Amino acid sequence: MDASSAQVKVVFTTNEEDLVLPESKRQLLVPADIKRYGLSRILNSESMLDTSSPVPLDFLANGTFLKTSIEEYLKSNGLSQETTLTLQYVRSLLPPVYEASFEHDDWVSGVDVLSSTSPAGLLAGDAAVNERVASASYDGLVRIWNPSGTAIAVSAGGKGEGHTQRINAVRWLSPTQLASAGLDRKVVVWDYKEADDDFSGTLKPNMELWGHGKNINSIDVNGSTRRILTASSDGRVGLWSASKRTAPQADPESLPSAHNTKRAKLSNAGSTAQRGPLAMIPLHEEAVTAAIFHPKDSTVAYSASLDHTVKTIDLTTQREVSRLTTMHPILCATALPGASLVAAGSSARHITLLDPRESAAATAAMTLRGHVNMVVSVAASPENDYSLVSGSHDSTCRVWDLRSVRLASSEEGGGSVSEPVYTIGREWLKGKKLPPAGDGAKVLSVAWDKTWGIVSGGEDKKVQINRGNGLLPS
Amino acid sequence: MGPSLPSRKRKEVSEVVESDDEFDGAELEGILSQSEDDDDDVEDSQSDGEEPELDEDEDEDEDEDEEDDVRSGDEEGEGINGESNSKNKPDVDGEADDEPNYRVVKDANGGVRYEYAEIDPVYDSDDSDAQGPVNTIGNIPLSFYDSYPHIGYDINGKKIMRPATGEALDALLDSIELPKGWTGLTDPETGKPLNLSQEELELLKKLQMNEVPSDDYNPYEDMIPYFTSIEEKMPLSAAPEPKRRFVPSKHEAKRIAKLVRAIKEGKILPYRPPEPETEQEDKYYDIWANEEAQERHVMHIPAPKLAPPGYDLSYNPPPEYLPTAEEKDNWEKLDPEEREKEYLPSKFDALRKVPAYGEFVKERFERCLDLYLAPRVRKNRLNIDPSSLLPKLPRPEELRPFPTVCQTIFKGHTSRVRTVAFSPDGEWIASGSDDGTVRIWALNGHQEWSAQLSSADEPEPVNMVRWRPSKDTFILAAAAGEDLFFIAPPIVSDATEQASRDVLNAGFGYATNGSSAAAATTTADGAKKEPPAKWSRPSASLVAKGVLLKFAVRSAIKTINWHRRGDFLCTVSPTGQRSSVIIHTLSKHLSQVPFRKLPGLAQTAQFHPSRPYFFVATQRMIRCYDLQRQELVKVIQPGARWISSMDIHPGGDNLIVGSYDRRLLWHDLDLSNRPYKTMRFHPEAIRAVKFHRGLPLFADASDDGSLQIFHGKVVGDLMENATIVPVKMLRGHKVEKKLGVMDVDWHPKHPWIVSAGADMTCRLWA
Repeated sequence: MDASSAQVKVVFTTNEEDLVLPESKRQLLVPADIKRYGLSRILNSESMLDTSSPVPLDFLANGTFLKTSIEEYLKSNGLSQETTLTLQYVRSLLPPVYEASFEHDDWVSGVDVLSSTSPAGLLAGDAAVNERVASASYDGLVRIWNPSGTAIAVSAGGKGEGHTQRINAVRWLSPTQLASAGLDRKVVVWDYKEADDDFSGTLKPNMELWGHGKNINSIDVNGSTRRILTASSDGRVGLWSASKRTAPQADPESLPSAHNTKRAKLSNAGSTAQRGPLAMIPLHEEAVTAAIFHPKDSTVAYSASLDHTVKTIDLTTQREVSRLTTMHPILCATALPGASLVAAGSSARHITLLDPRESAAATAAMTLRGHVNMVVSVAASPENDYSLVSGSHDSTCRVWDLRSVRLASSEEGGGSVSEPVYTIGREWLKGKKLPPAGDGAKVLSVAWDKTWGIVSGGEDKKVQINRGNGLLPS
Repeated sequence: MGPSLPSRKRKEVSEVVESDDEFDGAELEGILSQSEDDDDDVEDSQSDGEEPELDEDEDEDEDEDEEDDVRSGDEEGEGINGESNSKNKPDVDGEADDEPNYRVVKDANGGVRYEYAEIDPVYDSDDSDAQGPVNTIGNIPLSFYDSYPHIGYDINGKKIMRPATGEALDALLDSIELPKGWTGLTDPETGKPLNLSQEELELLKKLQMNEVPSDDYNPYEDMIPYFTSIEEKMPLSAAPEPKRRFVPSKHEAKRIAKLVRAIKEGKILPYRPPEPETEQEDKYYDIWANEEAQERHVMHIPAPKLAPPGYDLSYNPPPEYLPTAEEKDNWEKLDPEEREKEYLPSKFDALRKVPAYGEFVKERFERCLDLYLAPRVRKNRLNIDPSSLLPKLPRPEELRPFPTVCQTIFKGHTSRVRTVAFSPDGEWIASGSDDGTVRIWALNGHQEWSAQLSSADEPEPVNMVRWRPSKDTFILAAAAGEDLFFIAPPIVSDATEQASRDVLNAGFGYATNGSSAAAATTTADGAKKEPPAKWSRPSASLVAKGVLLKFAVRSAIKTINWHRRGDFLCTVSPTGQRSSVIIHTLSKHLSQVPFRKLPGLAQTAQFHPSRPYFFVATQRMIRCYDLQRQELVKVIQPGARWISSMDIHPGGDNLIVGSYDRRLLWHDLDLSNRPYKTMRFHPEAIRAVKFHRGLPLFADASDDGSLQIFHGKVVGDLMENATIVPVKMLRGHKVEKKLGVMDVDWHPKHPWIVSAGADMTCRLWA
């Protein structure tokens, strides 16, 4: 054994209950030049964990992922080689692999996925659920795609049916229903029927929901209660019923027929049923950018707005319960089911994790920094409680691990800060430098599903699918 | 949108109308002209880059005033003269009356006797011919009459009065016309002035000139010689020469013998003995000989010590100090002055083989020169921290938020983008370009709407787009060439669009400036007056796109600005001469020219954000008019050569001005009409300046392709001045044909700014 292979004493710890090492094996002398892969192999060996199939592991040293060899880590942190290093091992996030791109005619503003593991697919119970992607585009059309990249169904555009202007968001209500909303201030509930050959389908508007005065920025659905939440630029959050039967009649003043404009006549030509909101809650001074259901409690919702606040809404009384004020306009939000946090993407290029609970000591639990442009879409991981993906105007999606935390310097405003684990660029850029200001490649929407992987759509008129093969094995 | 909201807002608006006594805009036509009447010179000719000389007008005014003063003074003078003339006239008449110059009195015998009035010996009186006074007192001294006022008696037995001696008037008269021979002396015999005759004067003159006084005396008479000059032929004596003149002198022989004896004895030396040369050693001075040991003073600097000799100076240095052949060669090739060392280390086996050091004397000499001549001065370092000289400004990091990076690039225009504007709700951006289109974008860079305002082949550049500042309508005003278009883009809710259409169509009932009204607006002399703008519907294809109304003025519109209530709109067309600044009333489709004459080329105009003031910027001045009282309130002189743009702080008390001569000027309107701060940070002209409506930020756009963001905090109380801190330089726009960033606009709420570039893009910075 020559002098270069010095040994370092490490202590392995973990929070994963199924991977706990016996007490006696936790301390180990390892060569100093070993890297993540070597450590992972050591832990997977027969003498240690004795796993049936190797579990790729990542190692957190002092809150940051070990990316270099232990020796270099110690050197860069100014530690002696004689110190005992505590390594927390976690299941590895594997880099997402590019799968496919689905071409559109115009910018893709919203994507949602349907699979047996998606929220809408889970509603179907035991029935077989096809894997589908719904995309909303700026040309006013909703498209349904199968995994091989064929557009199975395209909504009718223009004349009376469907959207007359760009669509901002689309969601699966159930395997046979979708809801979409956009600049023309209405929510359209679509009936989706698929032919038996799996290669063709039809999208028929079931009903139109009218009530907002301006552009609808995002929608969220709760499949079990069949409720829809919309966030609009008029500062209001709309609560709607997705079934024609329970939806109230629309306020005639809000319908386009109330105004004798040419455009109104055009859009009124269809025969789709028109319904109104269950509740229209004026909450914000400025445009509401996101309204989301609480992941577990369907009577609670969160709304995020450009006026820097995130509010908790009680949907039964339709009142604001509490509000969280941040420093920047918020452009998107999603709830993290496990951590009871709300991840809010801001125009100041970061994601803030907000704790909306009354008991929380600090409102901002963590800040995720790394994007270089506005963060317009976030999605929580479907499999665990500590990772999420965000889509930004800087043409990237970034995957974050909330366990990798460090304390922020005073320049960054203090608190905890995390950096992205993976950055997913647009495939057609072929790893070139980021275009300035995300020019031509902005990501506008991102969704994360266990089956599909990370699905993102953007200014490049493409839906891009990235799958981590066993990205997060169970 | 619920029905209650618009009505409430409308109510608010109407309340505002009642509460602030605003100008009603009913008659703006020429209302601001009377204040301009005296400014006759219009700077039309100065568009070719000549410096407009606005001061001229004022100077002329002053000159006129002065002339008036002088003239009035003359008139006063004439008045005085006239009066004095009229006073003099009666006196002259009185003198002209003829009266007998004698009186009749009784004499001693009771007979009649004529007594003549004393003749006044005035100038030109006849009496001047009479002989001078004669001595009537005989040959007695005049002093006998000293106690009397008279001197003797005349032929009539009257006293001859003593002449008025020393009387000032006489003396003055005498001094004016001096009689011949006047001396200023008094003749003691007669008591009269003593005059000298010509001969006496000449005599005196000769005496004065040191000449011979009398003519008879001749100072240069012929010389009579006493001795003759003629040489005699015969000697006076015939005696022979004496013997002693030939015989040697014994006395001399004796003296020579004496000298010879002295030389022989050595008493007299034939040459001077050489002096001993020992004294020459004293000529060398030891300048430090008398140096006293000085106490250590702060300023004392000891002479630098010579470095001790190193190994290379040894006669037997270690081999590593010895130069190689190449080094030696190099050293020898070098100029003696360029050599690093004066010597080359060399090795000798024994000390006895060391030759004499040839450079020794020279080296000592140079050392002495160093010590003696090289000045040794303690250098006083300036103990001023350079950072303390800078003004204390907060760090830019503390002044967040402000835009820092480009977030969106808006691509689509096919020519340079001239103008850009955020909609009042901050969700849309409108841009106008040289390609003749107006485009509306979402903030993420998606083009939502566009319209070609003029023909695509020969597009009129869209010089300015501005949104109507109201949230319940969605109206964009766009200036293309001489036309101004009102656009209600069909991208908002039907209720809003309907409201916008109603606002635009409301004025068609009035049709004041339309074709029917042309007859109504005639001037006093009956001539038909062309309305300043013609309001009409644009072509059907444009109406279908949402362009609902337009008007045309006489020359190309460069700037438009809305009044905050959205009913008035001012347009500025710099080449429009008389009608360069026009105020339009949207609700009546009425256009009025508030200035009959404008001093200078109007560049931009703007309404005050809260008061009924109207700011008009010409090339060098900004004038502020009160539209309600119809008067000039203030003239602001930024000191810029050519103002390009201005913006008024939403608080209303501050103003920023950008100029083509690269200056950005901040004016405090309460403080002075001169700029509070002048900033020259751009190497090229500044095209646009803009205040943020809510945050303490402002920005400028320059032809060097950059924007500068400033933090400009205005404090309410008058004691504190505004804090201005440059916080960020935003670069990204490319410079094309020397044009960089053409326009900027702030988001109404957030610290986001959008810029229009000559590189055919707009950029959003956040």
